Amino acid sequence: MEFNRLRKWGNELNICIRCGYCYEHCPLYKVSNWEIDTPRGRLLLAYGLLTGEVEPSTYVAEKLFQCFYCKNCSKSCSAKVSPTDIFTDVRADLMESGFEVQGTTVRNAEKLCIACERCVSVCKSEALSMDMENMRVLVDKVKCKGCGVCVAECPVGAMSQKEGFGVSKKELSAKIESSLRSMNGIPKVIIFCCDWSIYPGLRLSRMELTGAENTSGIIVTVCAGRIDPGLILDTFYQGAWGMMIACCPLDECEHDGNYRAQERCALVERLLGVLGVEPQRLKLEHFATGEAQKLKNAVDSFVSEIASLGPI
Amino acid sequence: MEIDVERLKEIVGEKNVRDNIADLYVYGSDSSVHEANPSVVVRPETIEEVQEIVRYANAELIPVIARGAGSGASGHTVPIDGGIVMDLKRINRILAIRPRDILCKVEPGVVWDDLNRALQPYGLWFPSAPESGRIATIGGAIANNGSGVRAIKYGTMRDYVLGMKVVLANGDLVTLGADTRAQASGYQLDRLIVGSEGTLGIIVEATLLLRHLPKFRAMGMAKFNKLEDAGETISDIVASEVTPSLLELVDDIAITALNKTLNMNLPQVEAIVVYECDGRLKEAVNYDMETIKEVCEKHNAFGIEMGSDAKEMERIYSGRKKLFAALSRYREGFVCTSLADDMAVPSSKIAECARKIHEIGERNHVVMNAYGHCGIGLLHTKILMEATRKEQWENARRAVEEVYDYVRSVGGTTSGEHGIAISKAPSWKKEKADSLQMMKAIKMALDPNNILNPHKLMDAPDDWVTATKLRYPVEL
Ligand SMILES: Cc1cc2nc3c(=O)[nH]c(=O)nc-3n(C[C@H](O)[C@H](O)[C@H](O)COP(=O)(O)OP(=O)(O)OC[C@H]3O[C@@H](n4cnc5c(N)ncnc54)[C@H](O)[C@@H]3O)c2cc1C
Repeated sequence: MEFNRLRKWGNELNICIRCGYCYEHCPLYKVSNWEIDTPRGRLLLAYGLLTGEVEPSTYVAEKLFQCFYCKNCSKSCSAKVSPTDIFTDVRADLMESGFEVQGTTVRNAEKLCIACERCVSVCKSEALSMDMENMRVLVDKVKCKGCGVCVAECPVGAMSQKEGFGVSKKELSAKIESSLRSMNGIPKVIIFCCDWSIYPGLRLSRMELTGAENTSGIIVTVCAGRIDPGLILDTFYQGAWGMMIACCPLDECEHDGNYRAQERCALVERLLGVLGVEPQRLKLEHFATGEAQKLKNAVDSFVSEIASLGPI
Repeated sequence: MEIDVERLKEIVGEKNVRDNIADLYVYGSDSSVHEANPSVVVRPETIEEVQEIVRYANAELIPVIARGAGSGASGHTVPIDGGIVMDLKRINRILAIRPRDILCKVEPGVVWDDLNRALQPYGLWFPSAPESGRIATIGGAIANNGSGVRAIKYGTMRDYVLGMKVVLANGDLVTLGADTRAQASGYQLDRLIVGSEGTLGIIVEATLLLRHLPKFRAMGMAKFNKLEDAGETISDIVASEVTPSLLELVDDIAITALNKTLNMNLPQVEAIVVYECDGRLKEAVNYDMETIKEVCEKHNAFGIEMGSDAKEMERIYSGRKKLFAALSRYREGFVCTSLADDMAVPSSKIAECARKIHEIGERNHVVMNAYGHCGIGLLHTKILMEATRKEQWENARRAVEEVYDYVRSVGGTTSGEHGIAISKAPSWKKEKADSLQMMKAIKMALDPNNILNPHKLMDAPDDWVTATKLRYPVEL
């Protein structure tokens, strides 16, 4: 098999010292805990494909198509290797050789799709396009970064991502449920943190959040843009007293997921009003990487505000 | 070697066993130049599972290689003969933090930075975690007897391990040491496990001594036009009454690499010395900082910068933290290899050793630099070379040998921190020539079937270059 695009990265793969620093913040590794799901693991696979020590297979391709492009790996690499650029090229090579896998990319269920094109309009990676002839959405799996913004945007549930990476609506909903269940005798507050912005800062800050009681409500996901109105309502339905969405500062989100989150929060706030629920129970805040102190303060004041409101 | 994968699945569950080529390839590497695939990877979650795996392997004579983060730099977890790689990262609970006893009890898969984050609210920390502490595990650092940049004041791993639970090669679980700092005579078996690189037992729990977080810290950076001056400065500081909490050397090659890779804008001088003092009293810390500054000035240092706020300290130190990887970009076509990477010499020999390293590199047509925790006599060097050219490996082999010949001649040691494993074993065996038999006898007594991380340390091949396949595309 030819790996024409990957081949040009041969030198970079040698430059990587395989220290493993890249996997400290990899959201995929956090879910599986297997080294093959770390950036280093995937770089090794790419290297193995080049040298012939690893046979191209559906399994290997599936692994190489798993990446949320949060680029925490590139940021932590002192050798300035850019794993995500390498993954993009190896994806293109694998596609060319006929490997059809999904990985973390999105899928469109043609039977459900109503061709409204909302997904196409929200995709900042230009990975989605409309096939006018057949009236269906095409996914460019090399370009798709798996942010999930289109999945949350789709009004009929036609866009989806595979489960198993801890980011699907079902998995997030399960995390919410178990978080809420573990919060006894304290304000039931759910905080969504975007893995792209605040989460690495949170971990690097070496700062305890407010106290053990509040950290149980922190749920880390990739991109606030994947939180749809249904999930927010579901959080309240499951018994949350309040919910905060922590996302990147405006214009800093690679996927414009923060703008989508803003729109959706505004919508849900109106709905809450109609239902007679205080809209301030839902809050959207912006944080840049490293702003752990700001997050801590925001969480503290939100929790005390919600505590004074009590349960719904 | 026949491995009954189904049996392993019965022990740890199907989803915790992998034997497909892709996973095996990934687990066949660490941060060294070596590569070799294991036969299977298992991820136990309990001590009982570890015991059962080891019992099975011992009965069937299958190698078992304990693996933490796989950040070892000398092929520590590279399974020369295949076998079972046991990934211990899931056994990772902090079992107890006991401030009144200034100790904690942890499982082997806990990552150092996570431990330090958990200790912070108690005003405590573990000061000797390795620089790789963002991913490296407790088990891996104990097994390597590693240390960190603050070893000059706070010591190395062996100074902190009060006790541990270890699974032996026959599957028995033993409790070594105690929860006390004072432990008198009798064989110090816990100390024997520290630094044993997974060859004598699998550490499944450790009791670690802790320290109080210092209230004040200050950091300084001094520049030198001559490497010798910087080396002499370090020797003089070590010999003085002041004990800095960090004392690091960065040479010109490292400066070039940092400027090139990370645009750090450091002055292109022959050497930089970074130092830090910490303590409970600001005045005392500042007094020590001034004393060190005077020593630097005596040896012609210039452009001395000092700071005590966190941002300023981060700025001063940020380059050093990223050096290892940044060296990969020193010169187009070169890569950074961990070879002869952490020798230690008596502290009066820092300058001489640094100069020797440069000379030996030049003579052998590779680039060798000198940096590191020189306060404890430890010099890091990396061999920067064109790894795809066969003759460069000949050159590297000679350079490594010459460096270590020198190190031994001044009473130094092969590895001060990263451990021996495969790449450093040939020189280390020369250094320890008259105690190798003793080590082999201990290994024989504890692991008669030689299943625990075989072919490492005294049992490693005599030529590191051909010991395994090299990780670079090169035909030897
Ligand atoms: C960029 C970089 C910087 C580094 N900086 C430092 C530093 O400052 N100080 C330092 O000391 N080292 C340093 N190292 C080397 C290495 O990271 C450390 O030695 C680290 O402690 C290894 O931990 P690990 O979890 O990765 O262990 P691994 O590499 O997985 O294993 C190392 C050894 O320990 C054994 N082992 C692992 N777990 C167990 C267990 N539970 N029981 C028995 N044996 C076990 C393995 O068999 C192997 O022999 C650095 C490495 C890199 C790549």
